[in-house]
Amino acid sequence: MKKRAYLLTCMLLIALLLAACSNAGGSEQGNGGDGQAEQNVKISLLSWNNETEMKPVLDGFKKKYPHITIDFQSAPPVKDYIAKLQTMLLSESATDIFIIAAENRNEIIDGGHALDLTDQPFMDTMIESNKPMLSKNGKTYAFTQTGWVGGWYYNKDLFAKAGIEKLPETWDEFVAMCLKLKEAGITPLYDNMQDLTSMHSVLYGNMTLASDPSFDDKIFAGEKTFSDGWTEVFKLWKKDLIDGGILTPDMIGLTGDQIESEFTLGNVAMFFGGPWNISKLEATEGLNFGMMTVPGPNPGENYYVGAPGVGFAVNSASRHQEEALQFIEYLSTEEGLQLFYEGTGALITASNFEAKVHPALQTAFDEGLMAGKVYLPMVAWPRHQEALRNQFVISTQDMAVGKITPEEAAAAIDKKFEEMENK
Amino acid sequence: MTKALKQLQYQVFLLPILLVYTLFTIYPLLRSFVLSFTDFNGYNKDYNFTGLKNYMKLFADDAIVSGISFTLLFALLSTLIITVLAIPLALILDQNFLTKNIHRAIFFFPSIPSGLLLAFIWGFILSPVSSGVLNTVLRELFGVGPQPWLSDPLLAKLSTIVVATWASAGWHAVLYLAFLQAIPKDYYEAASIDGANRPQLIRYITLPLLAPAMTVSVMLLLTGGLKVFEVPFALTKGGPGFETHTITQVIVLRGITETQYGLASAISIVFFLIVLAIAYFQVTLMQKREERIQ
Repeated sequence: MKKRAYLLTCMLLIALLLAACSNAGGSEQGNGGDGQAEQNVKISLLSWNNETEMKPVLDGFKKKYPHITIDFQSAPPVKDYIAKLQTMLLSESATDIFIIAAENRNEIIDGGHALDLTDQPFMDTMIESNKPMLSKNGKTYAFTQTGWVGGWYYNKDLFAKAGIEKLPETWDEFVAMCLKLKEAGITPLYDNMQDLTSMHSVLYGNMTLASDPSFDDKIFAGEKTFSDGWTEVFKLWKKDLIDGGILTPDMIGLTGDQIESEFTLGNVAMFFGGPWNISKLEATEGLNFGMMTVPGPNPGENYYVGAPGVGFAVNSASRHQEEALQFIEYLSTEEGLQLFYEGTGALITASNFEAKVHPALQTAFDEGLMAGKVYLPMVAWPRHQEALRNQFVISTQDMAVGKITPEEAAAAIDKKFEEMENK
Repeated sequence: MTKALKQLQYQVFLLPILLVYTLFTIYPLLRSFVLSFTDFNGYNKDYNFTGLKNYMKLFADDAIVSGISFTLLFALLSTLIITVLAIPLALILDQNFLTKNIHRAIFFFPSIPSGLLLAFIWGFILSPVSSGVLNTVLRELFGVGPQPWLSDPLLAKLSTIVVATWASAGWHAVLYLAFLQAIPKDYYEAASIDGANRPQLIRYITLPLLAPAMTVSVMLLLTGGLKVFEVPFALTKGGPGFETHTITQVIVLRGITETQYGLASAISIVFFLIVLAIAYFQVTLMQKREERIQ
C-alpha cells in the first residue's frame, strides 16, 4: 500500500515536470494557433485599447476574413501595457501583433522585435508627420492611423462671469487672465504636476523650438544641454504661476480624475486634457466648454501638446506574419478606420479618411495636430524617455514646493541624462 | 534501513512546497544577485558583466538615499504607533460587553480590503483642494482653510503613516487579543486575592505574558513596513519630489521605468540584506526580552 502511494507520488511529480517542459517548448513560437490548415488561423493581438473599444474593428475583420480568429488581449496604458509586453517579449511568448508607444519604441525597435513595415502598401495612408516616432534609420516599424492633441479645456460660463471676453494671445495676457479669475473668486487652473507638465511643453515649443526646431536633436547629440533649452521656461513658469499664486503646491496631491470632476462641477476654470475627456465633459449637463492652448511670450508661435497615436506592429518572431499584416492592412482601409473610430473615438489622421472632430477640439486639431505645431517631449526625445520624464516630474514638484530653483531643476535633468548615457 | 525509508516517505511530501518556494523565492533571489553585476536592460538578453559598478552607483543616488530614509521612518513610526494603539485596544476588546463582537469586527475590517483600494479612498478624504472630505469637515466645523495633506513634504509623510496605522491597528489588536485569551484566569484570581489592583494586573501579568505576541507583531510590522509600496504609492505617487518614495518604489522606478535592471537588482540585494539584518536583530533582542521578563 505504502509502496503504491510512493510510486503514485513519484509519477505525479514526473508528470508535472513533463507538463512544465512541454509548456515551455510551446511558448517559444508565440501564441501560435493551429497552423495545419491555412484557412483556419489564430493570431494574437495585445493592445492598450480595451475589448469594448476594439470590438467593432475586430468584428469587421472577422467578417472579412472568416478563417482568421483573433485572440485579443489588452493591458491599460502606459506602464501596465509596457511591463506586460516586455515580459512577453523576454519569455518569447509575445503576441503576433502588438502596439509600439513612444515610451517603449527604442527597446522594441533596437531589440529587433518588430517587423520592418516601410514598404507595405498600406503605409501610404499613414501621414508623414506620424512616421518619425515609429521609425529608426529611415525604416518604419509600426502603423498608426491616429494622433492626439491636447490643450486647456476652459469653462465659458466662468470666463464670462469673470468678465473675460477674448482668449489670451500672449503669455502676459494669459497670466493677467488667470489673476482676473482669481480676483473674481474662481480657481483659474489645476495642474497636479504628476506628469511632465503640459504647460512646460507648450512654453518650450514657443520659446525654444519655434526658433530652433532641431533643439532636441542637438541636446541628444551633445551640442546643447537641457539647461540651455529649459531654464528660461522653468523661470517664467515659476515667477508667474508659482510665485504669482496661480498654481499652488497643494495641487500636487490631486489625481487626474479629481481635477476632471472639479472642472465638471464648475470649481475650476481650466484644466489640461485631450480627446479622452470629451465623453465625460459632454455628459455633464449645462457645462459650456471650449479648448485653448497656453500662449508663450513669442506671439504667433503657439504650440499644442500632441503626438502620433500608438502604432500597430508585427512580431518579428511570429509564425503568422502574413495574417498579422492582413489585420494591419484592414485597419488602414476606410471600413477599418471607420470602425476603429466608432470603437475608440480616436482622432483619425489617416490620409484616406475625413476625420470627425468634436467642435471644441477643432481649433486644436487644425492649428495644432494637422499643422505640425504639436510637441510631446517623449516623442521628440530619442532615448531615455521614461527616466527623463520621471526626473522632470521630480524637478517640477521640487520647484513647486520651493526646494530648488529653476536653474537647479534644469541641472538635475542634465545630470540624469548624463547618468543614463553612461549607464 | 526501513526507518530511513519511512523518513524518506515523509520528505517526499515536502517536495511540492520546496519546489514552489525554490521557484518563486530562491531562484529569483539568486537571479537578482547575478543580474546585479550586469547591465541587463530588461529587453536584451545579451548583457555584459560590469562588476561592482551598480553597487558603487547605489549610494550616490538621491532617490535611493531618500527612499531608504523615508522607508525607515515609515517602518519605525508605524510599528511604534500601531503597537502603542493595538495593545490597549486588545485589552478593551477583551472585556465582556454587549457589542463586543461587533466592535471586534469593525476594528478588524480595514485589514480585509486591499491596501491599494483603501489608499485610493483615503486619497479622496485627504484631497488637498477645498472640496476634499477632510478639508470640508475642518472648514465647516472649525473654519480652518484647506490643508495640503498630500503635497506638503512633512504632511504627506505623516498622512501615509496615519493611513497605514488606521489600516493595520485592528489586525494587530486581534493578534494580541488571541494571546490575551490564552492567559490563564487563575493568575489574575491569585493576584486579586493578594490585593493587586487593575493597573498592577496589567503591569505584572498581562504585559509580560504578551511578550511573545509582541515579538511576532513587531516583526511583522517592521518587515511589512520596510517592504511597503501600495499605500504611499496610491496616496502620493512618491511625491512631492522624492519625499515619499519608498525603497520598493525606487526599485520599480530604476528597474522598469528606466530599464536599469542591473542597478535595480543591486538595490534589491542591498535592501534584502538590510531587512534581514533588522529582522534578525529585532527577533533576537525581543526573544531575550521575553526570557528576561518571564
